Amino acid sequence: MTSAMAAAVAILAVMPSALGEALVCAKTVEGMSRNPEMYSKLRTSMILACALVETTAIYALLVAILILFVGGK
Amino acid sequence: MILSSNIDDIVSRLGDTSAGLSGETISSLFVVGILILLSFYIAIRAHFQDPLKKPKGILLLAEIGVNFFDGLVESMMGRRYRGFGGVIMGVACYLFIAFIWGLTGLPAPVTNLATPLSLGLFTFVLIHANAIRFNKFKYFKRFVDPIPLFLPINLISMWAPLLSLTLRLLGNALAGWTLLTLLYGGIGSIGDVVIRFSETQSMHVGSFIAPFITPVLHAYFDLFSGLIQTTVFLFLTMIFVANEGPEDDEMIEELSVKGGN
Repeated sequence: MTSAMAAAVAILAVMPSALGEALVCAKTVEGMSRNPEMYSKLRTSMILACALVETTAIYALLVAILILFVGGK
Repeated sequence: MILSSNIDDIVSRLGDTSAGLSGETISSLFVVGILILLSFYIAIRAHFQDPLKKPKGILLLAEIGVNFFDGLVESMMGRRYRGFGGVIMGVACYLFIAFIWGLTGLPAPVTNLATPLSLGLFTFVLIHANAIRFNKFKYFKRFVDPIPLFLPINLISMWAPLLSLTLRLLGNALAGWTLLTLLYGGIGSIGDVVIRFSETQSMHVGSFIAPFITPVLHAYFDLFSGLIQTTVFLFLTMIFVANEGPEDDEMIEELSVKGGN
């Protein structure tokens, strides 16, 4: 039970990460609409930036998985 | 219960060295073996190829790949690092195949801590070897920068790139693997409720629904995620390594000065 609660708290870190990803996408779409010629370049950078922003969420997920299955013992 | 013990098993083996070669390590050796055989085959084909004829088949593919990675390295890292194309291409091939290896049903190499940690250590060594190569004894200045009081902090922050690269790969692969395992287990249980041959069946007969639902998730978590993480890993490696050397502009200026004389 305690470890489940701890995992739930740890996974809270995905919230700001999701917000960050939303910001990345919003700004990219804005840039694309202003300058459609840059579409393909912006898309590549957007996917890269998304993957980088996602890292925090992945850390949180890893910590949660480790707490659930290893830390609980 | 079967499911949780399954995840338990793979997570508990993350740092365990006593259990002998794990399935992931053997998969990893398979990937390396396939790549070595393929590269030898391409090398032999290339050796006997008439340079005046157009390359065909796998040779053409290999040429496109080598050209692409050489161009990528030159545009990302500068002309000084032109020789890094081969290293980057090798890591790219290994990492991508290691990611999509899970599609075969065998254990994916990246879900074991050993594989991402090895790749992270590879980048780490490359970064510091390059720093020593370009800065010589000035390399040690970074540990007492800006004042000697920062030595412990600098010694700890030295490991940050290694940790972030390793955990990014491991987290991604493990998250996808966990989600798909949970989904397969769930689908099996749901199917068992619908179709029930006997009270004590041990097999998940209901898993036959899975092929209609999971391919999309496999495409995302194995193919797409693997491609993106491979790209991110390589870009970060290239940027970290290129950061250690002097700026590219200086070298171009040097060349132009020499040319002027």
